[in-house]
Amino acid sequence: MLLAFQMFSKSNPGSVSEMASCFLDEKTFCQCCQLLLEHSHSICDGWSWHWVKDPDEGYLRKIALGTGKLRTSSNPNQISEQYPQGTGSNQRQERTASLSLHTDDEDDDERYDDDYDAGAVCCMQEGGRSDVIRYEYHVLYSSSYQTPVLYFRASTLEGRSLSLEEVWDGVHPNYMQRLQHGPWDTITQQEHPLLGQSFFVLHPCRTEEFMMPVLQAALEEQRPVNYVVTWLSVVGSVVGLHVPLSYCTEVRPPPPPHTSSRPLKPPDQQTQPD
Amino acid sequence: MSDNAESPTETQKGDPSTPQQPTEDSGTADEKKKIDVLLKAVGDTPIMKTKKWSVEKGRTVQSLSLFISRFLKMEANEQLFIYVNQSFSPSPDQEVGALFECFGSDGKLVLHY
Repeated sequence: MLLAFQMFSKSNPGSVSEMASCFLDEKTFCQCCQLLLEHSHSICDGWSWHWVKDPDEGYLRKIALGTGKLRTSSNPNQISEQYPQGTGSNQRQERTASLSLHTDDEDDDERYDDDYDAGAVCCMQEGGRSDVIRYEYHVLYSSSYQTPVLYFRASTLEGRSLSLEEVWDGVHPNYMQRLQHGPWDTITQQEHPLLGQSFFVLHPCRTEEFMMPVLQAALEEQRPVNYVVTWLSVVGSVVGLHVPLSYCTEVRPPPPPHTSSRPLKPPDQQTQPD
Repeated sequence: MSDNAESPTETQKGDPSTPQQPTEDSGTADEKKKIDVLLKAVGDTPIMKTKKWSVEKGRTVQSLSLFISRFLKMEANEQLFIYVNQSFSPSPDQEVGALFECFGSDGKLVLHY
């Protein structure tokens, strides 16, 4: 009823326990994304589905605006204060506002099958000293890790890409210390597998660590979850991607594998948002 | 909200059969500025000796997460994840009061960590 599960035997002979698998197959990934998109459309959260014909794969995409103080803005030598450590929330810059922005004049190379146009809703923190940063988040499926992977890039409105240091400044302090301690599970710059452009990636090797408790509980209680929504709620928090609580309550899990599920097609062929 | 903010108030341990009570002498339930949180460990995470806490509504998830990390004496290379509804990780900036309104039941908010 849930995701694909594998049965493991404990080392103790005679006792067999059922363990959840933290791996996600691509079909279920697409189904989860489809359900996520439906809710995103209903609350205008800005996610859209894009299909790249060459490897015949799709991915989720969201563009959001946020504010922060960049190193190279007004004070080149000043450390960015996007996330002051240990200070109150009233001093913290607003990260990605819960809005979406879709510009029609983007010069991306991929073909868009879904021209979802949410329109721009400006919701900025007090201006003046803050720089406006454009964040672009992609959720791809990794067949190597059999998990989703978060790719993202950030740039100023003038088009200057943020450096890795500036991106690090934007990591939520709740996760900063841990990420800095683990060189193997961190933010790196890599080539986007489908677009061939330079993106930042949150390394997927920690996925099992935070997905397993949820999946295990879901298995034991026979209460399925939407893998991508759960996963996104964790990784999104790390890089300032806002995932509203309603995703938790409103997005359904994908249908069980053995039942006839809805045909997999890019959600652009479904009802258009308002 | 500083890192050294006061800890969530521990609920009084009395008769186990009685429902958990906030420590403050609050008035009616409507006037409570605190919510009751029940912390449950998952996997190999150490279990908190005190599971029931009375937490101010305006407190953030991050603040609570920091508190639990320190309570459990976690290492710097360890990361604590908090789950609501056993399926979703709320944003660190989310206020627990809002979580309680969405996911609270029987007068308490259950958070897994």
